[in-house]
Amino acid sequence: MEEKSIISVRNLTKNYGSASVLKGINLEVKKGEVVAVIGPSGSGKSTMLRCINAMETISGGDIYFNGESVARMKKLPKLRQEVGMVFQHFNLFPHMTVLKNVMYAPVTVRGELKPKAQEYAMELLKKVGMYEKRDAYPSTLSGGQKQRVAIARALAMKPEILLFDEPTSALDPEMVGEVLTVMKQLAKTGMTMIVVTHEMGFAREVADKVAFMDEGIVMEWGSPRQVFEETENERVKAFLAKML
Amino acid sequence: MSELIQVAVKYRALLISGAKVTLIVSLLTILFGLFFGILMAFLKMSKVKILRAFANVYVEFIRGTPVLVQIFLVYYGLPLMGVEIPSIVVAGFDISRIVSGTLALVINTTAYVCEIVRGGIESIDYGQTEGALALGMSPQRAMLAIVFPQAMKNILPSLGNEFITIIKTSSQISVIGIADLMYTADTIRGISFKPMEPLIIVALIYFLMTFVISFILRFAEKKMKKGYAR
Repeated sequence: MEEKSIISVRNLTKNYGSASVLKGINLEVKKGEVVAVIGPSGSGKSTMLRCINAMETISGGDIYFNGESVARMKKLPKLRQEVGMVFQHFNLFPHMTVLKNVMYAPVTVRGELKPKAQEYAMELLKKVGMYEKRDAYPSTLSGGQKQRVAIARALAMKPEILLFDEPTSALDPEMVGEVLTVMKQLAKTGMTMIVVTHEMGFAREVADKVAFMDEGIVMEWGSPRQVFEETENERVKAFLAKML
Repeated sequence: MSELIQVAVKYRALLISGAKVTLIVSLLTILFGLFFGILMAFLKMSKVKILRAFANVYVEFIRGTPVLVQIFLVYYGLPLMGVEIPSIVVAGFDISRIVSGTLALVINTTAYVCEIVRGGIESIDYGQTEGALALGMSPQRAMLAIVFPQAMKNILPSLGNEFITIIKTSSQISVIGIADLMYTADTIRGISFKPMEPLIIVALIYFLMTFVISFILRFAEKKMKKGYAR
């Protein structure tokens, strides 16, 4: 039996005024899959990702989350509790400690009890190797540490799927590894993930599916092997030659 | 010097009473001005066009007219609009004048605090709002729990300046006969025939008040900085 998609992007378009950024995107993400989205800058990767949790409004087409239309959805906070997001610039809350960053939303948004939320937050912080820093403020952390906390914070909401918006692009090179390691572990636990990234190694090694985007469309779609090795598309080849 | 002390001691009851009025009026203005200023800032950033327009006109008009004119407008305008505040004298102070003087100052302060708060909120990176929304927070919670506290911390120095300005500006309510510190200086000058001494004494008292406020604020700032740096 064909497994149902968690996320189903159908003919998605997005315009900013007269500039059209997305020109009909189609994408299917099934439970437990890791999908890497690659492509040159300005190809609409991040915009597409941000449409999925309704950070951007959809101009045309639609996205279905477990069969529900995102374009027609009224309760966006509810959607965003299920669809977590990790940002390029972390967006940790500077006026809260690491622990409070992680447990604030579960307590206030999901209404979890504090002791329970704290216990789970500590567990997550251990998982991403940030338990020792639980009482520190974000400003005292390195970029890699911040991003690991941000991942724990997103996981604390127990989302069904996690979106990563270039999670390593703002990091110093020596810190990219620690974040990718956490993401790899996460993928192994069966977390459904869509990762917009410039890390070709990660896409190749960890992703189940790779989408190559350019000029607002998905130009190539398939397994890492299909996209990285067997592609006939000249644009994909040129891009990969530059990146690898 | 001895002249100064003589005058200060002789008229200490008047001076203390005037200082009290100035302090009470300033404190009330700070409190209500802060409250309505924050409210006005949210109106100015509202999605509803009419609210935004109202806040814009309000702020531009208040900032574009002298506070002295505003004080007179409220003082003579309130009765004309049918608002009569009974002239009750409590502890030697005419409440009706104090209310209209304070109201004028609050109206004035609201406009300035509004601009300070709005600037503070807009200075917070939009990523903070996005981070909060992405966790499923409502836009209201994202504003109140995430953006607003950070904004308030950033604008603390500007707010402190505004508080100090209020104390100094409050001297202008003496024109409608409120017996504040400035009014006291005039009174003492009238009965003692000494022009300089009362003014110098009053200036020192004003300075003491503003100095204490700026000291407290500097302390608060330091304490908040210890909490977290950006």
